[in-house]
Amino acid sequence: MNKWLIPAVAAVALLSGCSTVQRGSIPVVDAGTAVSNSERISANGGFRQTTVKRPAQAQVQEIPQGDSGVVVMVPGAGAMTSTPISTTPITPGPVSSGPITPGPIDTTSGQSAPINQGSYSMPSTPSGIPSASSGGLSADEQLDGPVLALLTTAQQQQASGDLNGASSSLERAQRVAPREPQVLYKLAQVRMAQGDAAQAEQFAQRGLTLANGRPALQASLWDLIAQAREKQGDSAGAAQARQKAKVSL
Amino acid sequence: MTRTRTPRTPKKPPSRGLSPWLGWAIKLSLVGLVVLAGFAVYLDAIVQEKFSGKRWTIPAKVYARPLELFVGQKLSKDDFLTELDALGYRRESVANGPGAAAVNGNTVDLNTRGFQFYEGMEQAQPVRVRFSGDYVAELSATNGSKLSVVRLEPLLIGGLYPKNLEDRILIKIDQVPPYLLETLVAVEDRDFYHHFGVSPKSIARAIWVNGSSGRMRQGGSTLTQQLVKNFYLTNERSLSRKLTEAMMALLLELHYDKREILEAYLNEVFVGQDGQRAVHGFGLASQFFFSQPLAELKLHQVALLVGMVKGPSSYNPRRYPERALERRNLVLDVLQEQGVATAEQVEAAKKMPLGVTKRGSLADSSFPGFLDLVKRQLREDYRDEDLTEEGLRIFTSFDPILQMKAEASVNDTFKRLAGRKGSEDVEAAMVVTNPETGEVQAMIGSRQASFAGFNRALDAVRPIGSLIKPAVYLTALEKPSQYTLTSWLSDESFSVKGADGQVWKPQNYDRRSHGTVFLYQGLAHSYNLSTARLGLAVGVPNVLKTLARLGVSREFPAFPSMLLGAGGMTPIEVATMYQTLANGGFNTPMRGIRSVLTAEGEPLKRYPFQIQQRFDPASIYLIQSAMQRVMREGTGSSVYNVLPKTLTLAGKTGTSNDSRDSWFAGFSQDLLAVVWLGRDDNGKTPFTGATGALQVWASFMRKADPLPLDMPQPDNIVQAWVDSRTGQGSDAGCPGAVQMPYIRGSEPPPGAACAGEGPASGESVMDWVKGWMN
Repeated sequence: MNKWLIPAVAAVALLSGCSTVQRGSIPVVDAGTAVSNSERISANGGFRQTTVKRPAQAQVQEIPQGDSGVVVMVPGAGAMTSTPISTTPITPGPVSSGPITPGPIDTTSGQSAPINQGSYSMPSTPSGIPSASSGGLSADEQLDGPVLALLTTAQQQQASGDLNGASSSLERAQRVAPREPQVLYKLAQVRMAQGDAAQAEQFAQRGLTLANGRPALQASLWDLIAQAREKQGDSAGAAQARQKAKVSL
Repeated sequence: MTRTRTPRTPKKPPSRGLSPWLGWAIKLSLVGLVVLAGFAVYLDAIVQEKFSGKRWTIPAKVYARPLELFVGQKLSKDDFLTELDALGYRRESVANGPGAAAVNGNTVDLNTRGFQFYEGMEQAQPVRVRFSGDYVAELSATNGSKLSVVRLEPLLIGGLYPKNLEDRILIKIDQVPPYLLETLVAVEDRDFYHHFGVSPKSIARAIWVNGSSGRMRQGGSTLTQQLVKNFYLTNERSLSRKLTEAMMALLLELHYDKREILEAYLNEVFVGQDGQRAVHGFGLASQFFFSQPLAELKLHQVALLVGMVKGPSSYNPRRYPERALERRNLVLDVLQEQGVATAEQVEAAKKMPLGVTKRGSLADSSFPGFLDLVKRQLREDYRDEDLTEEGLRIFTSFDPILQMKAEASVNDTFKRLAGRKGSEDVEAAMVVTNPETGEVQAMIGSRQASFAGFNRALDAVRPIGSLIKPAVYLTALEKPSQYTLTSWLSDESFSVKGADGQVWKPQNYDRRSHGTVFLYQGLAHSYNLSTARLGLAVGVPNVLKTLARLGVSREFPAFPSMLLGAGGMTPIEVATMYQTLANGGFNTPMRGIRSVLTAEGEPLKRYPFQIQQRFDPASIYLIQSAMQRVMREGTGSSVYNVLPKTLTLAGKTGTSNDSRDSWFAGFSQDLLAVVWLGRDDNGKTPFTGATGALQVWASFMRKADPLPLDMPQPDNIVQAWVDSRTGQGSDAGCPGAVQMPYIRGSEPPPGAACAGEGPASGESVMDWVKGWMN
């Protein structure tokens, strides 16, 4: 009897050892999965499922919803200009020494100072834009090309609650167009939403140094600075900023 | 019970002959079976534990910045093609499939590969880029519709390796190129899909071969056994190991299906050695040998990789190209024989060259200076194990195009200056950043840029000499009621007694004094006497405060000699300081890393852009215009021997005592570079800031072709007409009248009428103004 019992026990032991996991229900956790290349999407679509939900990528034609203040407006379909605003001058040339001096113009300098011929290029006003209603900006605040696309993406990310993603997209826009104050304005807004009022104020300040001749944007930036100061407990500074916002407009 | 006991009864005579032996044999085999079963259970636990858990530890991968494409972007076609080559794009007549590019004149068609970034997925897509001059003039999809912005996948520039230096790029089995699985099975294990982990047929053959040769020669291993051997066992060759291997192979097959085993094999297989680093898996092998993702490989490349499995070192295509070619073609023959590929396909594949890139382009050692920076920043936030095991993806701001230009500038300049005695012992360091974003784009830590060792860009603390001077002048210019660009400074010699009784008597570089000069001239010509006088007037502690506000965290004693740069700083600290000057007075902590993703592509950490305003833009505007004079008329003017006059730049030379350190720091609108030359033993060099570091800097700027500096004029800056000799207010129409920027209220009263002395040609002020206005 026992002669058969022992191999039977052995066999059971062996089988139970082997069958702790059923074929087909393998508990494989590929923790080290998919480095580098694997995230390159193969031609058939790629395998990776990102668990973090991300909004769709930029759809240029989509008109973003303005949250508050500045609205990034989309030029009408036929009015797309291909020059990106303010990123870089297409023809590098000697830089003008002349300023645009909004505000009180000094007589000694204002008269003879040449008009700024620098790298900043204002886009021509496209026709058929949605007019500057709903707190929007004047026509010279139109953006197009890469900056618009990235701001649109950022706006979608922000709307879906992905502030880090929005922030990252805006920094990408800032690299593409480092001197576009609207990007800095948006960055400041997102920093506010992230609860970082101090950085929001800094970005708005930086935006102001690049926003000469754009009174509507200046007003929005001052307004944001006022909010940021309020949040940091500086009500006197906030009042001052609010005053500047009024003057700018 | 009784029956088993019976034989053991000692009183029983051994008359039954065989039966006790049989009994013993049965018992022994039972014991053996139990032991074996126990061993099997033990092995099974090992097999499952390792296979079902995290199978491999993956070093963190470090990526360069992705190249962004958009209309109006400044990018030359040559630089673009350099980037494509580094990314392993195939040049084809018509771009077909991801990773292919076709060049037609000024137009490049390419199929991007797509990539998971922090901000989201960049889809693979066909793109047409048209260049005009050094700009992107058009960016469209193949159907002609315009694309606003596209980014390429980033270049892999290195990894953070653990001690065992095993590296791999994990792949999924559905990502493999055509032919790979078939080729592997045909060459290594034809019965793979039919056996249970071991193949009796091949074992019999192996026993036969080994028996007749008397040694263990032939494996007869199935793919499963090979996987087991590499994955679980050591390299020892013995019968017991062979048996263990066979058992584990059987157990592995029992639990996991063929595809899963094959996938593990694809990732485990050893395919080569890259210095200290072991190249594992076909995913990394493909990058290592072809600079291409595995999925893009063609038949001839697949045949080469599979052929190498048999002997990674003896068939190394870089070292033994003939042998590797022979092996590859042999594999191709097998494929034809097995019906995997047709005769025509094999014929065509045999005509292809090996196609391996020159060196392992993702070699860890390619950009040691920058990787060092990345590692240091990462170590502040992660444990070493996280960096070497978790497969993190590190996205950096590294720009390989600028790095190559920086390296070429160092090499070219040393070659050009080789005639100078002592230049061969001079070391170099360089930091390149984008002043508008605060990102480090390139870094050189050694004259031999690919030499990993002492990283001088981060660690060489050297006296900065006159690089300090902008801080002195900025301190003064922040007091517009006392100082303007046209304030008069005395450049006469003097001496002061320090608190410790030591006398400090500075001298000009040319050992002469220059009488009375305009304030901006003191900086432009780097006069020590006027600068020291100014610094003492505003106060050494105040200058050091300015330095701290500029972003230098190092502490210096408030000695007068600090005013002329006796204090030591590293090149990266100098870059931080000049960054604030370049970026309108906004300080940004230097960043090399943008974001980190997990191995699964999920956002883990961001290194956000942060700025802090430290100076009023107006005083920065003034110091920038003085620093432009350095380039137009001062110590930096030799740059315009190689650079176009239209390129406005600002910068400062620096030379420490006896030319032990040669510095230059300067910037354009979008590019800032700091260059240091000097000897590690702090000996004398044959270079001043202008004859050494500036030459490297100018060479770099010529190659990089940056945008001219153009700081927007702040509201509280006015441009006033002044007499170029007296600095008094003048009228625009007057001879010798020049325009100068002033902080509102500090400008001289407008001049009424012209003095009528005629054009003041030959005056130094006139010269710079001409240079400036032209």
